[in-house]
Amino acid sequence: MIKAQSVRKVFGSVTVLDSVDLTVAPGEVVSILGSSGSGKSTLIRCINGLERLDGGSITVDDFDVSKPKELAEARKRSGTVFQMFNLYPHMTALQNVTLAPVEVLKRPKAEAEAEGRALLASVGLGDRADAFPSQLSGGQRQRVGICRALAMKPRYLLLDEVTSALDPEMTADVLDILAKLAKEGTTMVFVTHEIEFARTISSRVVFLEKGRLVVDLPTEQFFAADGGLANPRIAQFLSKMRKD
Amino acid sequence: MRYTEFTPFDIVLLAQGLGVSVGLFLATTVIGLLIGTLWAVVRFYRVPVLMQVITFVAELLKNSPVLVQLFLVFFGFPAFFHINLGPVEAAVITLSGNTAAFVYVIAVSSIESIGRDQIEAARAFGLTKWQVLRHIIAPQAMAFAIGPLTGLLVNQLQVTSLISVIGVMDLTKIGNILNLRTLKPFIVWAVVGVLYYLAAKIIAYAGATLERRLRAHTAWKGL
Repeated sequence: MIKAQSVRKVFGSVTVLDSVDLTVAPGEVVSILGSSGSGKSTLIRCINGLERLDGGSITVDDFDVSKPKELAEARKRSGTVFQMFNLYPHMTALQNVTLAPVEVLKRPKAEAEAEGRALLASVGLGDRADAFPSQLSGGQRQRVGICRALAMKPRYLLLDEVTSALDPEMTADVLDILAKLAKEGTTMVFVTHEIEFARTISSRVVFLEKGRLVVDLPTEQFFAADGGLANPRIAQFLSKMRKD
Repeated sequence: MRYTEFTPFDIVLLAQGLGVSVGLFLATTVIGLLIGTLWAVVRFYRVPVLMQVITFVAELLKNSPVLVQLFLVFFGFPAFFHINLGPVEAAVITLSGNTAAFVYVIAVSSIESIGRDQIEAARAFGLTKWQVLRHIIAPQAMAFAIGPLTGLLVNQLQVTSLISVIGVMDLTKIGNILNLRTLKPFIVWAVVGVLYYLAAKIIAYAGATLERRLRAHTAWKGL
C-alpha cells in the first residue's frame, strides 16, 4: 500500500503540492491526470524519495520515505520509469537492467543477467541486450527503462509520463507493454497525458490541479457525465486533450 | 683547462637526468591523482569544514607559482617545522600538491558533468551514494576527465624542470651542467628539448589511447 497523507511540496514561493492525499492498494492501476505544472510528476518524485516533502507523509508498505533507512526499503518496493528514460549511457541495455538487482538486491550476477535477458526478450529486445542506449531508438530505450524497473520485481510501478518523449508509433509499442502488465495485475501509478489509454487500463483516476488533488474516482465514474465530467475544469481538460 | 668536447658518458648523464625527471613526474602524478581524487570525493559527499579547507588549499596551490611553492617548501619546512628536507623530497611534496590541486578541479568538474537524470534514476532504484559514484559517475567522469588530465600531465612534466633550481639532478640540471662544460648551448638544449618532447608525446599518446577505450560506449557502431 502506498499512502500519501496531506503531502506538501514547495519550490521557492510556489506550492507544487498542497495537502494531497492518495492511497494505492496492491493490484490497482491509478492514473494521475492534470495539466502541465499541476504537480503530477512531483508527486511521483515524492513517492520514490527524489524530492523531500515539506509537509505530510508518504509511506510505501509502511516504510516512511522521509526517513533515510526506511526510504531504502521503500525504494526496493517501487520501480520508476522516467519520462526521459534516464538510462545509464555507458552501460549496455542488459547492464542497465541488471545493475540495481545485483547492487541493491544482492542477486547473483548470472541469475540477474538471465532474468534481464528474458525481460528484454519479453519486450522484443532480445537481440539488443548488448547495445548501448545511444544505439537504440526512443521506443527501444523506454522499453529498456521498463525492464530496468521490472527487474527489481517491484510491488509498485511508478510511471512518469513514460510516452511523452515518443512518437505515436513508439508510444503504441510502450503502451502495449503497460497494458499487458496491467492485465497481469501489476500495481501502477501512472502519470500520463494519454487519456484514452488511462481510461482503458486504470482502475482509478485522480485529477490534480495546481497542486491539489481535486478528484479521486473509479475510472468509470471519472469519465461519466455525472461523475468527474461534472467538474467543469475536468471537462475542459479532457476536451482539450482529446482535440490534440 | 676545460674539456669542451662531448663524450659518450654524456649520454649516460642525459639518460640519468631523464630518468630522474620521469621518475619524479610519475611519482608525483600518482600521489597527485590520489590526493586530488580523494579531495573531489570529499566534496561529492559535501563533508562540512573539510570541504572548505580543501577548496582553500587548492586555490592557494593553483594560484601561486610552482617555483614560489618549491622555495617555501624547501626553505620553509626546515625553518618553521624543523623538518630537514632534501631537494628530492621537497620536489615530490611540491609537485604532488600542485598536481593534486589541478586534478581536484578536473575531477570536480567531471563529476558535475554527469547528467542528474541518470543519478536520480540510480538513487530511485535504491543505489547508495557510494554505489552511484562507483558505477554511474566514476566510469563516465573518467572518460570526461582523461582529455584535460592528459593536458595537465604534459604540462606537469615540463614543470618538473623547475626543481633543478634547488639542486635536483633532473634533465634540466644535467643540461645546465653539460652546457657550462661544453659551451654549446644550442646543441645541449636542443637535445634536452627533444627528450622532453618525446616524453610528453608518450603521455599524450597514452592519454588518447585510454580515452578511446573509455569512450567506447559513445562511438557509433551502427545498428
